[in-house]
Amino acid sequence: MNNSPLLKIEELRTYFYSRTKQAFIRSVDGVDLEVNKGDTLGIVGESGSGKSVSMLSIMGLIAARPGIITGQVWYQQEQARINLLAGLQDHVQVSKNDGRIMSVEKTDLAWQRRLEKNMLGIRGKEIAMIFQNPKSAMNPFFTIGHQIVENITRHTQYKSRKEAKERALYWLERVKIDSPQLRFYNYPYGLSGGMCQRAMIATALSSEAKLLIADEPTTGLDATIQARIADLLEELRAQTGVTIVLISHDMGVIGRLSNKIAVMYGGRVMESGPAQAVIDHADGKSHPYTEALLKSIPREDNMSSQGHLNSIDGEVLDTINVPRGCRFASRCQRINKSIEKMCLNEEPPLATVSDGHKIRCWHFAGV
Amino acid sequence: MMVSRSAKPVVLYLTRELYVTFFLLIGVSLVVFAVLYSAPGDPLAAVFGGQVLSDAQREEMMRNLGISNTWYGQYWSWLVKLFNGDFGTSLRSGQPVLGEVTKLAKNTFYLTFGAMFFSLMIALPIAIYLAKRGTDRLGWVLMMFAYTTSAVPLFWSAYIVIYIYTRFFNTLPIGLATGESMNFTQMMLPVFMLGLGSGIISETVRFLRDEISRVFSEDYVRTARAKGVSVWKHALTEALIIPVSEMIASKIPFVIGGAIIVEQIFNWPGIGRMAWQAAQDRDYPVIMCITLVTALIVRLTSLLQKTLYVIVNPRASQETKTS
Amino acid sequence: MTQYAQTQTTVSEYSELSILQRTDKRDIAYVVYGIVILLMVVCAYLMAIFGWLPHDPEEMQLELMLAGPGAPGHLLGTDFMGRDTLPRLILVIKAYFVPGLMYIAVAILLGGIFGILSGYYGNKYETVVTYITNIIDSFPRLILMLLVVAAFKPDIYYIMMVLGVTNAPLVSQLIKGKISMLRQKNFVESAIALGIPDARIIFKHILWFNCRSYLIIQATLGMGEAILLESALSYLGFGVQEPTPSWGNMVQQGANYLLQGQLWSSTIPAMAIMFTVLGFYLLGDGLNNMLEGKRQS
Ligand SMILES: Nc1ncnc2c1ncn2[C@@H]1O[C@H](COP(=O)(O)OP(=O)(O)O)[C@@H](O)[C@H]1O
Ligand SMILES: [Mg+2]
Repeated sequence: MNNSPLLKIEELRTYFYSRTKQAFIRSVDGVDLEVNKGDTLGIVGESGSGKSVSMLSIMGLIAARPGIITGQVWYQQEQARINLLAGLQDHVQVSKNDGRIMSVEKTDLAWQRRLEKNMLGIRGKEIAMIFQNPKSAMNPFFTIGHQIVENITRHTQYKSRKEAKERALYWLERVKIDSPQLRFYNYPYGLSGGMCQRAMIATALSSEAKLLIADEPTTGLDATIQARIADLLEELRAQTGVTIVLISHDMGVIGRLSNKIAVMYGGRVMESGPAQAVIDHADGKSHPYTEALLKSIPREDNMSSQGHLNSIDGEVLDTINVPRGCRFASRCQRINKSIEKMCLNEEPPLATVSDGHKIRCWHFAGV
Repeated sequence: MMVSRSAKPVVLYLTRELYVTFFLLIGVSLVVFAVLYSAPGDPLAAVFGGQVLSDAQREEMMRNLGISNTWYGQYWSWLVKLFNGDFGTSLRSGQPVLGEVTKLAKNTFYLTFGAMFFSLMIALPIAIYLAKRGTDRLGWVLMMFAYTTSAVPLFWSAYIVIYIYTRFFNTLPIGLATGESMNFTQMMLPVFMLGLGSGIISETVRFLRDEISRVFSEDYVRTARAKGVSVWKHALTEALIIPVSEMIASKIPFVIGGAIIVEQIFNWPGIGRMAWQAAQDRDYPVIMCITLVTALIVRLTSLLQKTLYVIVNPRASQETKTS
Repeated sequence: MTQYAQTQTTVSEYSELSILQRTDKRDIAYVVYGIVILLMVVCAYLMAIFGWLPHDPEEMQLELMLAGPGAPGHLLGTDFMGRDTLPRLILVIKAYFVPGLMYIAVAILLGGIFGILSGYYGNKYETVVTYITNIIDSFPRLILMLLVVAAFKPDIYYIMMVLGVTNAPLVSQLIKGKISMLRQKNFVESAIALGIPDARIIFKHILWFNCRSYLIIQATLGMGEAILLESALSYLGFGVQEPTPSWGNMVQQGANYLLQGQLWSSTIPAMAIMFTVLGFYLLGDGLNNMLEGKRQS
């Protein structure tokens, strides 16, 4: 096998056009990421920072009409390396002004057709995805069993109904659902949230995809169940060797499961690198935003003197009015006289500070 | 995939719906009774005993039949009569009303449900197009077409169609009234006309369009897409089966209303034309019977729709509140 | 092909757009068309009241029967008795104006009572209201109207009354939906907690502030439907009685000659029905999209 990453995202931008404001919402605004085989990449950031949209973009799941996606998403298949966004640029005419989209003409239908064509054999087969709110993400009109079997017959060699059912039961067991024989015939409404999420994980893994994107898989579940789902994901990763992209706004979950971490803010990656470097500051360097996120994990040593939990001051960036300088500048605690001018007027590059560790901050831009 | 689901909640739910339907029909009968009771000229007496000429005759007849003077006494006697299948005799033909009405109701049934089918065949593709592509140029034209079909008076467009038909075929597209058998085009013309002109297309288009686009933005449809399996298969129940059946159930009264006009113009021997005739003749037993029968059809369609809903929706029998 | 463009050149200083700017151009066109039709109706009403008719509606010109539009002296042609079509079309509006308003009043009053009882006062009433509205919805309207007309008399006020009652369930459902939406946002509960009297909450805060546009939209859509139903009824011979003309019976009289190739005298009133109904429909939908916001797909 070659060494190229399983998934390489370059300059991904996803904009939504807001008719009422006649302006673009820049949910994802130039994201670069790499996921290697066997890794678990954690993407973290406050909600609204563009984590979900960036992953939905690479799966082609953005509602077609107002969504504009540009950039490259390279996916490494057995033999070839393919661009999941290939050919889409033929159907949009984007006029840019220093890297930012100013106006767009889009042939919706052809664009959508091309997207579906690119995704053929990718969705489900190569990349599987699980979502937040498992109860609404599972089809309420089909049994759990049916939803797994459907995936198995579609994407694996188990084509016959009997084989597929056996396989589905096997997966239900793998995700530790009690009495799988019974659950197989249950509808999602009869299951608890945690149980549903397990069923969804079973569905996603049952197609034997190489990459699993988990979008806030534990959010909205009870705290004890969250921990169990996290453990389950870790266990399944160790057993099956599936590569995982884990999205969460919860630093705790991310820190627990991932070996690589990317921190997103305002549609941009602010920091990325190995977990030790990002969370434990192994190289002694960190982004002020990451630091603030880490300080807001509910832990005893993160309590302020009044006994409150620390939180990040200020509002999450409004991605219509993106500032000229650093996106985090308005909330940054570490901004100081010597670099203030830079912070407010020019966006810092994503600079490499140590092996594989990159930070987008003027404090480190000179390194 | 068939599933072994406990049948009990479903049965319970449907039993309840059956009760509800029964009480609604009682309510319907009360409304009809109230109209007859409060109307001048004593239509109620006509229902009980045919043409009545004077007050004295009426008193005499009511006494002979053992009917009390109170409204509830009269309502009770009337209801008992109905339950015995006695809807009175037509003032015009002297025949028992129920037999005549049920004989013709069959034809109206074909006409309305055929027309409903045509309406959906027109509305559904437009709704899907609008939901998927938005209101682009063609979408706008389709939407305008839907609006126009709902604004054009049926009693004019039907004549225009007949006019065009006679121009082409040199015969009238009307035959049944004279006892001749109609050919297929002649049969289909009224059905198609009613489907196009009953005025339900624009509302159906809007409702289905909104439902389809709502369902297609549901989380579970996104999941289906992410799985790489057929999206329509997953969206089918909630985006089509349920809203279409709801639409049929809620719009059938409108189509029956339109059937009066189409039957009148095309000489289609159904209860719509009969109702029109009866209203002109003040043939109270007939118009009363037709009102009750059409209301019954509406309620039964609704019951059928509810049944379908519980069958396709596993959650339905859990839902406590309905209707 | 869809086009998107940032209108503001400096992206950092956009402002919220006004309602006209952010409404779809088509919706504005619908509303404008609807308003034009509405104004024409009002004009026609005033003309009929003050007797400013372009021609004597009763004068028969037997040598000029069933003429098409543009016949000398007759802008929209004549009917089967050689009477000018235009003033007769206008006279119809006079006959229907007040009954039409009464219909709207009945629908909104009854529907409003139902909606408030079930939405605001809740469970106990809800069952009763659902029961009553379901009963009303069981009748095909035209059949119910035939029953009433046969039992009482073919009077426009009876007809409009039945129409109003049969439209009430829809109004009730809309108001109830709005109230339960407000309840979900704890709007109603907090108003009650503030000690505002029920009547004030219902009339001022719920009906006036939150249901106003709904009711206007419903009234407009309902008007289109009423015109169609009433004209169908008068076509069948049960609406306004001769000698007062109605669009329905004008079409019917013309239709007798239609198969002989005399298209105009039924087509002109039919077009009047169509354009007016279309006007009300488009006005209602345009307003709906404009005021209530289109559902984002
Ligand atoms: N379909 C859409 N239309 C317009 N804006 C959207 C749409 N989807 C997401 N957004 C915007 O994109 C931003 C990023 O959203 P998301 O990626 O869901 O954040 P998160 O990091 O919490 O997953 C949000 O501000 C959201 O308002
Ligand atoms: Mg998210």
